[in-house]
Amino acid sequence: MPKIPVEQLKTGMKLGRPLMNSSGMVLMAEGTELTESRISKIENMGVDSVFIDGPSRPAKPKEDLLDALERRFAKTAGNPQMSLIKKAVREHIEAMYE
Amino acid sequence: MSKMDPKALRIRVENISNIPTIPSVLKQLSTIIENPKISLNEISHFVSKDPALTTKILQMVNSALYGFPGRISSVNHAVMLLGLNVVKGLLLSVSVFEIMHKAMIGLREHSIGVAIASKVLAQKKGLKEPEEVFVAGLLHDVGKVILTLMYPEEYDKTVKEAESAGISIFDAERNHFSETHAAVAGWLSEKWHFPKKLCECIENHHRPQVSTLAPLETAIVHMADVLVKARGLGFSGDNLVPEVNPKAWETLGLAEADLREILKELEDSVEQAEEEFKS
Repeated sequence: MPKIPVEQLKTGMKLGRPLMNSSGMVLMAEGTELTESRISKIENMGVDSVFIDGPSRPAKPKEDLLDALERRFAKTAGNPQMSLIKKAVREHIEAMYE
Repeated sequence: MSKMDPKALRIRVENISNIPTIPSVLKQLSTIIENPKISLNEISHFVSKDPALTTKILQMVNSALYGFPGRISSVNHAVMLLGLNVVKGLLLSVSVFEIMHKAMIGLREHSIGVAIASKVLAQKKGLKEPEEVFVAGLLHDVGKVILTLMYPEEYDKTVKEAESAGISIFDAERNHFSETHAAVAGWLSEKWHFPKKLCECIENHHRPQVSTLAPLETAIVHMADVLVKARGLGFSGDNLVPEVNPKAWETLGLAEADLREILKELEDSVEQAEEEFKS
């Protein structure tokens, strides 16, 4: 889920997480669709960025993550359960870049 | 340093209040929590004297990943909803978080990840109280923090040895201290009068097959630990993913699709949790 700076918010985006003040009170619920008036409300709250629904891309290139995955599983090659876990993580990482 | 006597180590750990390198907030909290007759009022009173602690605990329980977003306004209210034991565990976690980050970079992220994965797994398995498993996940590696605070140089050597010899941190700890972070955390959980099931999860997260009171819960924390290491979130002293225990694997009976679902929920929640707890 990407965190979008307030100045890049557009109408139609949906909040990925509830928007709360510092004491944890919910100001806008998760899933709220942004309108122009809601965006200006968020601007007035003084927050820098908010979570928006949808996938976010990791900061590192996919190849780095997949290489690191291979290294972490270097010693468990013959174990069928570990192979299944590794396959699930590999697919999970690949899905983050789609 | 030659191998330590495990009994002497246990006595030292159980008297952490006497160790100069343990931060005072942890000592005070430990003293409060070890009283088996501690009441809700005493806990609330202690917490309310420390505004930073109050803010942190309310932030944690009100976080979306905890399931009560924005609804819990006081420590009293939190105890009513979550129970004294969960609040005790959360209090310890939030006071240990800061120290955790300094003790081993990445351990806090790892612990939050394991807590979230434990909770997701607990919900998947239909457990009625996923919060307790969440707490077990948060605290499962607290023994590493205690060991680094007590023996900073020796623990540093332990971490380096694990890396250079390609062994797990668990085995390296055994070489250096005769005992492991799991045992240390287990002794403390008993001293803090955590529920027996919670103690078992923490103490046996590397050997889930020996848990008798909470075999499912222990299998969950064990599996969560493996999954978070497999995904490479945070750092717990291990560069390699440990093998999942066959009995725990069987207990949980997860298919590949389940693993993918858990990883996805984990990814989303960790991202948010990092934002919330980084301050």
